[in-house]
Formats: sequence, structure tokens, C-alpha cells
Amino acid sequence: MTEQNGDAAALSVRHLAKQYANANKRVLDDVSFEVPKGRVLVVVGPSGSGKSTLLRAIAGLEPIQGGDIALGGEVIETGRPGSEKAGRSARSSELRTRIGMVFQSYDLFPNKTVLGNIMMAPVLVLGRDKAEVEREAIELLKRVGLADRKDAWPHELSGGQRQRIAICRALILHPEVLLFDEITAALDPEMVREVLDVMIGLARAGQTMVIVTHEMRFARAIADEVMLLEDGRIIERCDDPERFFTQPETERARQFLRTFEFERAGHDKP
Amino acid sequence: MSGADILLQPGVLPRLLQGLWVTVWIAAVSVGACIPVGLLVGWLMTLRNPVVRFLMRIYLDFIRIMPQLALLFLAYYGFARWFDWNLDATGACVLVFILWGGAELGDLVRGALQSIPEIQSESAYVLGLSDWQSFVHVILPQALRRLLPASVNLATRIVKTTSLAVLLGVVEVIKVGQQIIDANRFQYPNGTLWIYGVIFFMYFIVCWPLSIVARRLEKRWAND
Repeated sequence: MTEQNGDAAALSVRHLAKQYANANKRVLDDVSFEVPKGRVLVVVGPSGSGKSTLLRAIAGLEPIQGGDIALGGEVIETGRPGSEKAGRSARSSELRTRIGMVFQSYDLFPNKTVLGNIMMAPVLVLGRDKAEVEREAIELLKRVGLADRKDAWPHELSGGQRQRIAICRALILHPEVLLFDEITAALDPEMVREVLDVMIGLARAGQTMVIVTHEMRFARAIADEVMLLEDGRIIERCDDPERFFTQPETERARQFLRTFEFERAGHDKP
Repeated sequence: MSGADILLQPGVLPRLLQGLWVTVWIAAVSVGACIPVGLLVGWLMTLRNPVVRFLMRIYLDFIRIMPQLALLFLAYYGFARWFDWNLDATGACVLVFILWGGAELGDLVRGALQSIPEIQSESAYVLGLSDWQSFVHVILPQALRRLLPASVNLATRIVKTTSLAVLLGVVEVIKVGQQIIDANRFQYPNGTLWIYGVIFFMYFIVCWPLSIVARRLEKRWAND
């Protein structure tokens, strides 16, 4: 791997502030963190804590009102106060291809086949050679175990298959950072595993990722660093996931993790 | 003498076919020109600009509230008086049907464009597609699918509504039918039903394939 900015983190977010129009509270307030190259950051937190908004802001889908976002040491987004209604970031197409994102709801283009979905951006945006892109797309499909579905239409696929295709569609652009926004939340339990396995494979291969998830066991298995977010603020950050999940520092984190534990329900004797 | 014999009179069927040709011509030109107008109007309706939205709202409401007949008279008699623009009857019909069809189609296009989930254009954005690429390759193809059944219905409505052209004196299929009936009133007093029967059949032949196409497409695209 070429190291242009040797020390720079793949992604760094500094003092990020985000507010929606007509709301007096910030959804993200002074959020700062770095994700070094090849590392996996898992963001957890109760719903409404700002996890999704954080990913959307990094991807350029939401305007930010303060702080900045840097990719490989290069600042790509700076917050502007009063930009609540500004809509999506005006960052360039080329810049957008450097950050990949997979969403919770199925977002494949229903008017394109599996290959059509994967090949669209490299051909249209990067102007790459079609035949070469197709070869790479098929390689990626093999990696996620779906090479035989290359000509299928999205509506013919299961939820888990669609999410794996969506991952391929993001991967083919070789993004420096890949964002996952609760991508298994809408899936049937049996399909969750096949998607999570693909992500673990990516982590092993050294893909830099930011993952928002409610799957705590998965988070524990894949994370290099865990971050607990609540009310738009970082409550706890820990680069030792084992410690975070067994002995978190803050009371709030303990409380949050307890919501995922169940005790054996005894029956009252009649 | 049986009423059906009126159909065998020399010149009757060819004249009816000529009338049908006028009907089909008006309908085809109107529908053809409606498509770009409707796409443009529909796209304008989705814009956030309040002035554009307001103008489009007025346009759509005006066309919807006015009976098509009133629009036809406005175009035929009004334009000549106000703008010194002497439209012939056929021209006035085509103009009105384009304005009417364009407004209706525009509203369908708007609905179809807005029914495409936001996540589609967000995915396209994240993949680096430009707004135009996203519109052409992602949003529009999906919107057209949802649009097609309803717009084929609109086309059938336009074909049928062309019969109002009679009232401006356009000699289309219904007018031809009336002329034939009037000319043969004494010879074939029972001819009326037969002539209108043939006209019914002609409209059916024009509109039926459209309905079939609409139903086929609806079925084929039902599953996504």
C-alpha cells in the first residue's frame, strides 16, 4: 500500500457539530475521533443518539455546522454555521467515490441487474473500461459467494443477498473508508450471519471501516475500537473492545450494555 | 330495407375511415407532443423554487377546473380575438389537448418522481454519480416504470376526448358519421345505430391495444 500521508489517519473527524433546521438541540455535538488506516471503528448507542447522522455527515449527505472531516489528512468538509437547510455537500464526484456507504434499507437500483448495479459507478463516474470492471465485479461477487447471481434482478434476491451486493457495489470503487449504517437491522436472523461474515472478511483484509450496529457480539468480534454515542456526544471510547464489553469505564456504558443481556426467566410455581 | 345496408353504400366506409384518420391524427400529434411537455412540467413541479411551483400549480388547476370544451372554445374563438392568432379548428384542438395532456401527464410524472425513495438518490450520490447521472440512470427509469400504466390510460382518454372537436366543426369520425346519417335519413331511417356501431368499433380498435399494453406492463412490473 502506498503511504502518501504516512501518519495521517484514514478518517478524522474533529469537533463535528450538526443541527437540523427548526431544532434547538444539536444532533452531534463536538464529536472528535480518528480511524487509522486498516482499522475498524464500531459505533454503538441507543436509537436517536446520532450514530446514523454521524455516518451520513461523513458521507456528505448532511450539511455540518461546525468542525471538520478529513480523509487521509486532507480536509474534505468544513462546518458552516447556519447551513442547516443546505442539503447535500457539494463535494466532487471523485471525492465521494473515496468514501463508501452501505445503508440499512435495501438500496440497490431496481432497474439494474446485480452486475449493472456494481458496474455503474466505476464506468460512469471513473470512466473505467467496461470489460475490466466486469471482471473485477465478478471477482467481488465470488468473494461474497454470489457469482451465480450476477444477472439476477434485485427483487429476485433475499435481503441478505442484496446487502452483500450493496457491499460489492461500494467495494468496487476501492473506498478509503467504508461506512455501514445498521446494515443487518432489517434482515431475518438467518441472513444476518452471511452479511456479518463478509464484513469480518473485509476487516481481515485491512479495509478501513466505520460500523454502526446493534449486534453487540459482532461488534466485539470485529472492532478495533468502540465508541458509545448518546445525545450526539461521545460517552466513552475504548481501543480495547474486550474491556469495553466486560468492564466499561462509565456507568452509562454499563447501563447501555445491560439492555442487551437477559436473565433466565424463572416461573412462579402455581 | 335493413339499416345495415347503409354501410354498404358506396363511399360510406371510406369516408368513415377518413374521419377516423383525422381523429387518430389529432390524438397522435397531441399524445406525441404531450410527452416532452409532461416530462418538463413534471420535473418543474418537483423543483423547490416557490415561484416555479406556484406557476405550475396554477397551470394544473386551471386546466383541471375548466371543462375541455370551454378550453376548446377559448382556444378557437378567444385566441383570434385577443392575440390576433387565427388558429384553425384542428390546430385549436391539438393545442388544447397538448396543454391538457401535458398538465395531466406532468402531475403523473411529478407523482412518479416523488414516489422514488430518497435512498435511491442518496445511494447514487454516495457512489459519486452527478445529479444528472443520478436522474437519467437511476430516478427516471424507475419513475417511467411507475408512470407507464397511468399514462397509457391518459392516452386513451385523449383519444376519446378528441370527439369534442366536432363542436368546433372539425370533420373527424363522429362528424362524418352524422353527415352520413343526415344524408341517408329517408333512405335508411334505421341506419343511425349501425353507423354509431361502426364508430364505436373504430374507437375500440384504437384504444384497446393501448389498454392491453397498459395491463401487460402493469403485470410485468408489478414485482419490484
